[in-house]
Amino acid sequence: MALNLLKAITIPVPKATPAYPLRWRSRLYGIAGLALLLGVVIVIASAVGSTQIPISSIWGVLLSRLPFIDITPAWLPTTETIIIDIRLPRVLLAGVVGAALAVAGATYQGLFRNPLADPYLIGVAQGAALGAVVGFLLPWSVVGFALIPVLAFIGALLAVAVVYSIARVGKTLPVTTLILAGVALGAFLASITSYLMIISGDKLHGIISWLMGRFSLGNWEQVWMVMPYIVIGVVVIWLYARPLNVMQLDEEQAQQLGINVERVKLILLVAATLITAAAVCFVGTIGFVGIIVPHAVRLVWGPDHRFLLPLTTLAGASLLILADTAARTVLAPTEIPVGVITAFFGAPFFLYLLRQRKRAIF
Amino acid sequence: MFSLRVCGVTLGYGDRIVLRDIDLEVKPGEMVGIIGPNGCGKSTLIRGITRLITPRSGQIFINGQNIAKMSRGDLARVIAVVPQNPVLPELFTAFEVVLMGRTPHLSRFGYEGERDLAITQRAMEVTQTIAFAQRRVGELSGGEKQRLTIARALAQQPEVILLDEPTAHLDINHQLETLDLIRELCLEQGLVAVSATHDLNLAAQYCDRLVMLSRERIYCQGTPRQVINPDNIKQVYGAEVYVYPHPVNRLPATLIVSGRNRPDHHKLD
Amino acid sequence: MRRYIGWSISVVLMVALLLSTTACVTEPLPGTFVDDLGRTVNIEKMPQRIISLAPSNTEILYALGLEDKVVGVTEYCNYPEAAKAKPKIGGFTTVDIERVVSLEPDVIVAASIHQKTVIPALEEVGLTVLALAPKTLDRVLANISLVGEITGQSREATRLVTSLEERIKAITDKTKALTEAERPRVLYLTWHDPLWTVGPGTLTDDLIDKAGGKNIAYDISGHKTIDLETVIARNPQVIVVLTGHGEARDLPFYYVKDEPRLGATEAVIGGRVHQVDADIFGRATPRMVDGLEQLAKFIHPELFGEQERWH
Repeated sequence: MALNLLKAITIPVPKATPAYPLRWRSRLYGIAGLALLLGVVIVIASAVGSTQIPISSIWGVLLSRLPFIDITPAWLPTTETIIIDIRLPRVLLAGVVGAALAVAGATYQGLFRNPLADPYLIGVAQGAALGAVVGFLLPWSVVGFALIPVLAFIGALLAVAVVYSIARVGKTLPVTTLILAGVALGAFLASITSYLMIISGDKLHGIISWLMGRFSLGNWEQVWMVMPYIVIGVVVIWLYARPLNVMQLDEEQAQQLGINVERVKLILLVAATLITAAAVCFVGTIGFVGIIVPHAVRLVWGPDHRFLLPLTTLAGASLLILADTAARTVLAPTEIPVGVITAFFGAPFFLYLLRQRKRAIF
Repeated sequence: MFSLRVCGVTLGYGDRIVLRDIDLEVKPGEMVGIIGPNGCGKSTLIRGITRLITPRSGQIFINGQNIAKMSRGDLARVIAVVPQNPVLPELFTAFEVVLMGRTPHLSRFGYEGERDLAITQRAMEVTQTIAFAQRRVGELSGGEKQRLTIARALAQQPEVILLDEPTAHLDINHQLETLDLIRELCLEQGLVAVSATHDLNLAAQYCDRLVMLSRERIYCQGTPRQVINPDNIKQVYGAEVYVYPHPVNRLPATLIVSGRNRPDHHKLD
Repeated sequence: MRRYIGWSISVVLMVALLLSTTACVTEPLPGTFVDDLGRTVNIEKMPQRIISLAPSNTEILYALGLEDKVVGVTEYCNYPEAAKAKPKIGGFTTVDIERVVSLEPDVIVAASIHQKTVIPALEEVGLTVLALAPKTLDRVLANISLVGEITGQSREATRLVTSLEERIKAITDKTKALTEAERPRVLYLTWHDPLWTVGPGTLTDDLIDKAGGKNIAYDISGHKTIDLETVIARNPQVIVVLTGHGEARDLPFYYVKDEPRLGATEAVIGGRVHQVDADIFGRATPRMVDGLEQLAKFIHPELFGEQERWH
């Protein structure tokens, strides 16, 4: 079993045949390239911010954190706080959330065979939003705010559980019914949320901030709390890449090829919902990443999920880190909500990609 | 030796029964044709054998095993299906789609190896689909997609292949090529083919046995000579045709005549 | 006889003088005024029925002794206590136009948020609207005088404004001459997730300046977010946190105290984190001067004495 898992993750490269030229090669280069890009993006994002910090200090701070390296600080303690306690966790949080949303979007697009699918399709966003707003409106103790991410997480999962139980027919889960039930429940939850927002009084702008999504108070605690869910969910989804490929045929054909369609659907649904819920519970519902990144990656590197998923993970992480960096530097020291940046740059970029390759995108 | 037995099977959807008490036995190396008018249950029977729908009564046995108790993977290693109008994802290349036929033979999280690629290549060569192996499925014609699906079924290396109208979109040359290929595989490798078809002539020329379905039951089954005659066709399809022995091999050739010249023609008034 | 006539003439003159002066005060001239939004407001007779669309305006009206003339207030008008008993015409942005019309007001006192939809709607039904949107403390005082003039309470207004000006002067006399180095760095927070603060162009910024502090959000205009990094880099020496309403009131305050990354700022180390009441700091009213005095004590305890902690 372990050997199989290892084989699954290290993709073997067969010899090229005239019928099957090594597109694998360009895809592997793509993975390496994007991984490198992600590393660069993380470093740049940590180096940039509303406060000017010289490069030498940045290197110094980062290096001094490694064991066995002893550097006498030539920088202010606030500089160290800024880099290690503010920028770095924020950058990593943005990366993890971006990766989660992008992979969840790709998974939903594959599951539903629908190019319009995004991680929020079947009610995750509306459930999380309602949970968060309820959290805002509860009577407080000092513990208060810690409850909001928990309620958002629970809300997201509950919404999907309800949608699942509505859409299920016997032992099967028809995808069209799932989408319709998700849209209907989502609208219903959104209406309750809107009403609660109206009566929320002066907490309204806090709620709106959450709904638009922000990384402002990102700290290490948040990073450690969401990482396990996201890492596990993403790995599970990666493992199901090949069955997801086969499920791009219709369900009957996939079944006739031996895929346990219902079980694959359930596992992927749970994994994708879990990572989305973890992604939004602290930072709010950030849009665009989940729908655009998978499409862009698919346009460049093709639909094979064995490559699409890792590439999407890396691209999503890089994109959201860049977007958040822009959000906190463009109008420094004030911040733009990160969802505005993703929409503003994401949509035109995607249109540009579409024009470059004027053929089917899905 | 391979065997497929359908015993007293009743199949339906919801409240509607489509086939009742179907008994059918297929021997290794046989090519069996399922004929009958639209809606008589040809596709339903195929779906029942591949366990997409569960029989209301009766059992289906493959190699002595009840298919209801077989795992999906085991079933897929034995049976391959060529559906009538399969949905194929547009962005994958033809080769990748045929390669998906190897799925039942791969381990749970495994990937295709050299052997799988070789089998796929061979399957595409014999079905004349290798020429567009690198083209995306979205760019192919209906006939090319149909041959592709057949190639995929062959790549599955099944013991029985079920075909639902496999020649419907094909040009006459491809029709002959495809059926020649399947017949050859039946004869040489003991492949069993069960083919649902509209084309009575192709059915007669290629199938060892024909099963004619009508009104929820098997109307008759036997060799083409036994099954295809004007009375049966009139009973089952309600059409007047002429059946003559084929000049080359004496198999029944169904000939039609346009309305004006038919004895039962009603003038429009 | 001559003395008698002289005395009665003086009495008549005095009575005439008295009558003429009271005549000046009780009947204002019909007039045209320009409000804070640049709108021209025509007052044709002294208003007898006044509706307030903002808690700040309600406070001003009551401070000028106009409680009998106030016929409608918002749900949030909670000061003074008596205002809570008045008929309600809606919330802050959700003004019930029908209700307003049914109360037959002579003048409606609005705020800047009503600019886009509420004021045009009211004007369309022919009502007179006065919009108050002061951005500086001086403008707040000018508005008090303006309302006084319009409503025939000029004397009250003048008295009030004069006493407020005295209190303000008591503070600015000491802070006007402070150099930048002598002004402590102040962070004023209205919310914590994300951090919201106010910069130049707002009333609070004006208060901070008059109280002798330096707002660290000097390059953010208006009411906007500020990122944590900037706060830490600029190392505020005093942090003033606005309390919310209802159950969230203390959250920003507790956040500032609990957030480990703010622990190294001078303000947190020195324990100079203070809470202030949104009703006082968020409203352009006479009580704002109370706020100014509080701020002055927070920022310059050495000049104005310690402010007892408000919880």
